[in-house]
Amino acid sequence: MIWSVYTENRLGLQFDPRTKIIMLILCVISATIAPSLLYESVLIFAVTVFGCASGKVRRSLFCAAFYGAFYMLTKFVISLEKGTLYTVFTSWLGLFYTVYPCAFLASIILSTTKVSEFLTATSKAHIPNKVVIPLAVMLRYIPTVCEDWGYIKDAMRLRDVTPSLFGFLKNPAMAVECLYVPLLMTASNTADELSAAALTRGIENPTPRTCLIEVRFRGRDWIATVLAVCVLVLGFIWERIV
Amino acid sequence: MTNETNIKKQKLTVKELITVGIFSAIIFICIALSGGPFAMFPALTFYYPVGGSLLAGPVYLLLIAKVPKSGPIFIAGLLMAIFCYVTGMHIGMTVGYLVGSTLADLVALSGRYKSIKINILSYIVFCLGGTGSYIAYFINPEVWVRRMLEKGTPQEYLNTMAATVNRWILITMLAGTVLVALFSGFVGSKLLKKQFEKAGITA
Repeated sequence: MIWSVYTENRLGLQFDPRTKIIMLILCVISATIAPSLLYESVLIFAVTVFGCASGKVRRSLFCAAFYGAFYMLTKFVISLEKGTLYTVFTSWLGLFYTVYPCAFLASIILSTTKVSEFLTATSKAHIPNKVVIPLAVMLRYIPTVCEDWGYIKDAMRLRDVTPSLFGFLKNPAMAVECLYVPLLMTASNTADELSAAALTRGIENPTPRTCLIEVRFRGRDWIATVLAVCVLVLGFIWERIV
Repeated sequence: MTNETNIKKQKLTVKELITVGIFSAIIFICIALSGGPFAMFPALTFYYPVGGSLLAGPVYLLLIAKVPKSGPIFIAGLLMAIFCYVTGMHIGMTVGYLVGSTLADLVALSGRYKSIKINILSYIVFCLGGTGSYIAYFINPEVWVRRMLEKGTPQEYLNTMAATVNRWILITMLAGTVLVALFSGFVGSKLLKKQFEKAGITA
């Protein structure tokens, strides 16, 4: 029963987290060297295909459509040739095009990988615990901070401190204290509780980790990696072909 | 054994690693909250490091106060670098955070992680790490823009860029980052003294 909950509630293919990490690195290199806008579109297409294969069809299509809109905007800005708008936008769009494919891929990866699966894969890849534990905690804690933020705002209202820019300007010292003190106090308490919980569950156990979900390189992982490498190589030889 | 070797030899326990993770998350959110709006707007994107250093100071100082050993700052910077890398920020930012956090750790070590002033200085160094990608941009703006145009950059554009953008924005960015980080660190040290030391959550 539990087994089926773990394996069957996800649509699409499951990839080894290590494949995802490799693909992400390849994607970052591809986006950095991308020689032209057309190649960038190929890259986005490849990421969309990967996203659909991992079962995130709707998100992938939405992100691809967003890219399409931006592509049109870029064409428009370039057709302007000169002017302030042109100058301002060109450098910013340059930044956008290096960021977008990777952010897109990263969002798919984060939403399809479970923390336990990720930890097993990293311990198999011999990444030291010193890095993995803070990373896993950080990923888990970011949504919690957003949740806490709501409570802090309520508490500030109770004490008649407006949790907005106006309230901040009216009484900055008070606003700063009301913001940081609860945030950092909770964080520090959570750190204590979390470490107690982690120790109880045997985080310091020296034997290798095990995981209910099987983490290993399958055929599909090899295919995905090879395709990603192909996209990267295409980027290098693009100028000679076109 | 002297105090110095003591600091160097202590290994990080699981509890400290978890503390580092949680504080890195808060530092990340602070940077994203105060710096994010800057990065979104084309005209303001160069002031991202300035905005980014505004909120994280108190968190950073408390992290050092809680885990006064070598390592946490570097790990926090490494996590930031990983995050920047994964979300596809320019590679300069990843390298910037790595270098910045390594230096910041060394600076804090020189004060044995106890001196507030040196810790603030270390925070400034850490914030300067965020300027990595922009420095990379200023070293070679041509490459940055070339791919956009496919058929080469118009000379006029490059001339305007070299004349106006280059020097002043870079100087404003670096000076602004240092000043804002100093201010944030100052607020942090006040908070630390007034609230957290009394509450006994510093190590």
